[in-house]
Amino acid sequence: MLNSEIRNSKFEVASRRTFLGASAAAAGLTFAADMTALNALQSPVLANELKKNDKRVILLWLAGGASQLETFDPKPGRPTGGPFKSIQTSVPGVQICELLPKLADRIGKYTAIIRGVDTGNGDHGSAARMMHLGRRDEPSVRYPDLGAMVARELGKADSQVPDYVSFYTATEGRGNAISQSGFLGARYGAMFLTEGNSPPNLRRLEEITDLDHQERADLRRLFSDRFARTRQSASLSSHNEAYSRVRGLMASEKLFDLSQEPTPMRDKYGPTLFAEQCLIARRLVEAGVPFVKVSRAWWDSHGQNFETHLELATELDHVMSTLLDDLQERGLLDHTLVITLSEFGRTPQINASLGRDHFASAWSVTLSGCGIKRGSVHGKSDEDGNKVIEGKVGAPQLFATIFQALGIDHQKNYHVGARPLPLTDPGTQPIREVLA
Amino acid sequence: MRGGWHLSLMFALATVLVKTGAADELLPAEKSLEEAIDHYLDARLAKDGVTAAPQANDLNLLRRTMLDLVGRIPTAAEAKAYAASTDANKRVALVDRLMATPAFVRQQAAEIDALLMRGTNQSLKDYVTASLEKNVPWDQMFREMVVGQEGDAEQKGAIKFIRSRAKDTDKLTTDAGVLFFGVNVSCAKCHDHPLVPTWTQEHYFGMKSFFSRTYDVGEFIGEKEYGIVNYKTVQGESKDARLMFLTGEVLTEPESKEPDDNAKKDEKKKLEELKKSKQAPPAAAYSRRARLIEVGLKEGTYPYFARSIVNQLWNRLMGRGLVMPLDQMHDHNQPSHPDLLAWLARDMQTHKYDLRRLMRGIVLSKAYSRTSEWDGSKELPADELFSVAIIRPLTPWQYGTSLRVAAASPEFFPADLKEDELDNRIKQMEGAGRNIAGSLEYPGDDFQVSVDEALLFSNSDKVKNELLRDGKEMLPTKLAEIKERREAMETAIWNIYCRPPADEELAALEQFLHKHEDQPAQAWKQAVWAMLTSGECRFNY
Repeated sequence: MLNSEIRNSKFEVASRRTFLGASAAAAGLTFAADMTALNALQSPVLANELKKNDKRVILLWLAGGASQLETFDPKPGRPTGGPFKSIQTSVPGVQICELLPKLADRIGKYTAIIRGVDTGNGDHGSAARMMHLGRRDEPSVRYPDLGAMVARELGKADSQVPDYVSFYTATEGRGNAISQSGFLGARYGAMFLTEGNSPPNLRRLEEITDLDHQERADLRRLFSDRFARTRQSASLSSHNEAYSRVRGLMASEKLFDLSQEPTPMRDKYGPTLFAEQCLIARRLVEAGVPFVKVSRAWWDSHGQNFETHLELATELDHVMSTLLDDLQERGLLDHTLVITLSEFGRTPQINASLGRDHFASAWSVTLSGCGIKRGSVHGKSDEDGNKVIEGKVGAPQLFATIFQALGIDHQKNYHVGARPLPLTDPGTQPIREVLA
Repeated sequence: MRGGWHLSLMFALATVLVKTGAADELLPAEKSLEEAIDHYLDARLAKDGVTAAPQANDLNLLRRTMLDLVGRIPTAAEAKAYAASTDANKRVALVDRLMATPAFVRQQAAEIDALLMRGTNQSLKDYVTASLEKNVPWDQMFREMVVGQEGDAEQKGAIKFIRSRAKDTDKLTTDAGVLFFGVNVSCAKCHDHPLVPTWTQEHYFGMKSFFSRTYDVGEFIGEKEYGIVNYKTVQGESKDARLMFLTGEVLTEPESKEPDDNAKKDEKKKLEELKKSKQAPPAAAYSRRARLIEVGLKEGTYPYFARSIVNQLWNRLMGRGLVMPLDQMHDHNQPSHPDLLAWLARDMQTHKYDLRRLMRGIVLSKAYSRTSEWDGSKELPADELFSVAIIRPLTPWQYGTSLRVAAASPEFFPADLKEDELDNRIKQMEGAGRNIAGSLEYPGDDFQVSVDEALLFSNSDKVKNELLRDGKEMLPTKLAEIKERREAMETAIWNIYCRPPADEELAALEQFLHKHEDQPAQAWKQAVWAMLTSGECRFNY
């Protein structure tokens, strides 16, 4: 299976799996006819390939656009500041909004704040796409999103758990919930939770017993293997591999079942949907799922910005703090990167409805845990928060930083036909200041 | 396939002078397509010292041909009748009979619509269906899609190709280049093309200029008679694009003048009115899109247009294009069989761009008819030799219909069914098959089946309700009624796999059914499920 996968994969030759064993690496070399493999065989990339074992990501997607002023880049006392004060964090000289007291205590332990994000796109749809893909859409290429790329890089072919799980909330709406595996193909697409907290088609239908379900899968395997025995095709192999993962994935349904979590732990996270999904996310990464996205909506506070953020930022503060503590206590945070991300931030100007509008010129993102220099702050907006005056960062740099934190070479190429497509746009540099 | 090779291969080839096959060296034009195809493929095999796999057996070939031409597997009755026929000419007769059916038009329309419109939210199926019924030549379809059909004031026909992309000129430029000319010029948008030294930003913006005057207003599109594309070079220099085709040919055109502000205001007002009254703007007296047709179809130049459609159809029927990737048909990416491509492109041009003619020729070739079986202990020859049939995933449309046909009771398709009634029932299956088809991914190059698909088939009630439900027209119900187990097993295999059973399969089924003897109806449902979901059903082999 390994050989045929390597030989037939369009996208890369030197996958992580290639490096797991000497014989596999040799097999990879035999077919290493493209630039990707040649690059990948040079250290320090090789070292990174080995290091990134078991890395995970939880993306907290703040749909609609969270306000940086009411979260990680407050401007108290300025005309743009709004009613909330700022509070001192555990890092000397670093203050965040008073709506985040629990996170303030934890910044120094877990988190880097990136304040100079300037992405220049204030349209929900295309900005959300950009922040999922790490680049602008291009007419001729359908790029994979962050989750699909991480699934490709960190997932295992025979994994018994999903590679990429995405929760969306009813308020975000399916139309806005972006998920695309693009040219990587559906193999790396998200397991999308459209209703409730459990993925579709993971549970056996009541009409069939578990034994029958297993036995018919065995019979299927027999027919399918007989057919495949005299034929060679990567596509055909992928069909059988997909079916061979079914039973394992079904067994992972318990990961989505919160009743299996002790009550005190559930109480710690709290009763909201976002809290429950974050707790499931922790269960998933603990079981080896490489990428989980949890969306919380709807931060799009054109009116009543301060009430909205009082509710949503307060919830974020509690849930994210609980999640980070929980991951830390289980020894998972060193391997798990927790990201807060939106399509954009919100205007410093407060409008007539006491709201803030779309604003993509100076907003904030946080990275916590795996590979991150904790307590660091990168970038600076001016005194009213109108523009970035130091350390401007766009989507590609942010993605490069995320890949680097996970030990993934952000310059590595995929290939679509003859065209090499690097994970992040050519020439992009990660933000070294926030990397451990 | 084997994609890792492409880049290095191309760099190597970039320095090689490419032979495109001068007409006088080609086989005579009077040869049949299938002869020409086999001649050139056999020549390459001989040169490389590779022996072609034997021809596939009758039933394998029947299944393959029906999937390609009419989009479904044969019924058990059709399979048995074909196997029993001793007519020496049965293969040609089959191909000609299938190509004359309404199902042929439906299948080809679905495929061509998917080719042209995937990635847009619109469909050209009605237009393509009507065109295929009349066997409208491909160059005429190209013209109608780019400049519109005569008498289509509502713009609901072919022009939807442009209309669905009018908001994004870059996408329109890229898609038109890829779909009609087999080249992706978007690599030359921000810098000169990295793989094709002769393609510069001027080529990209030259191609974009054909579409840059196209605009949409309400439900309609129109074209202005002025407007120049301006772009920035890598050096930061600002340049006006010339109207330039892929060959580098610059088209001369009537002088155009940018209107003054008042004229622009008037124009805007007029468009607003048109939008309100839901009317199409008047046709432009001078159309750059019409110039694209003119230069794109011009004889005597490098035949991008003819080569591209040949490559597309070849790819669909053979599992791999003569040039891969399909959108890199330029001088620096040599075809696997340059003379064959040149011969077929010439044939396309001299036979009025007749898509049926090419399809028929490919399907009747020996190359198409080879077996897909290969001894696993030997290394598989390169796909580009076409020495072994390439296994192709079914499109959602083919798979959806075929599953329904396979899961229907053989009594629903008796051997003596009249042709009209058979087509009616098949149409029912096609309609019903769309439900499952809608959940499946359209396969691209190097397609990998997703675990979502396996989970859908394993656990969704959609599959249970549509393929495994009780009913006298359903296969599992019929099988449970058959008293002799051996007969039931044979019926199942014929119905689903369109061939006689292998001993190994009978033994496995026997064991499974024996174990579940207490619940025969349920046992048959699960056995049918196991057969329907195996690789043999999922692929065109």
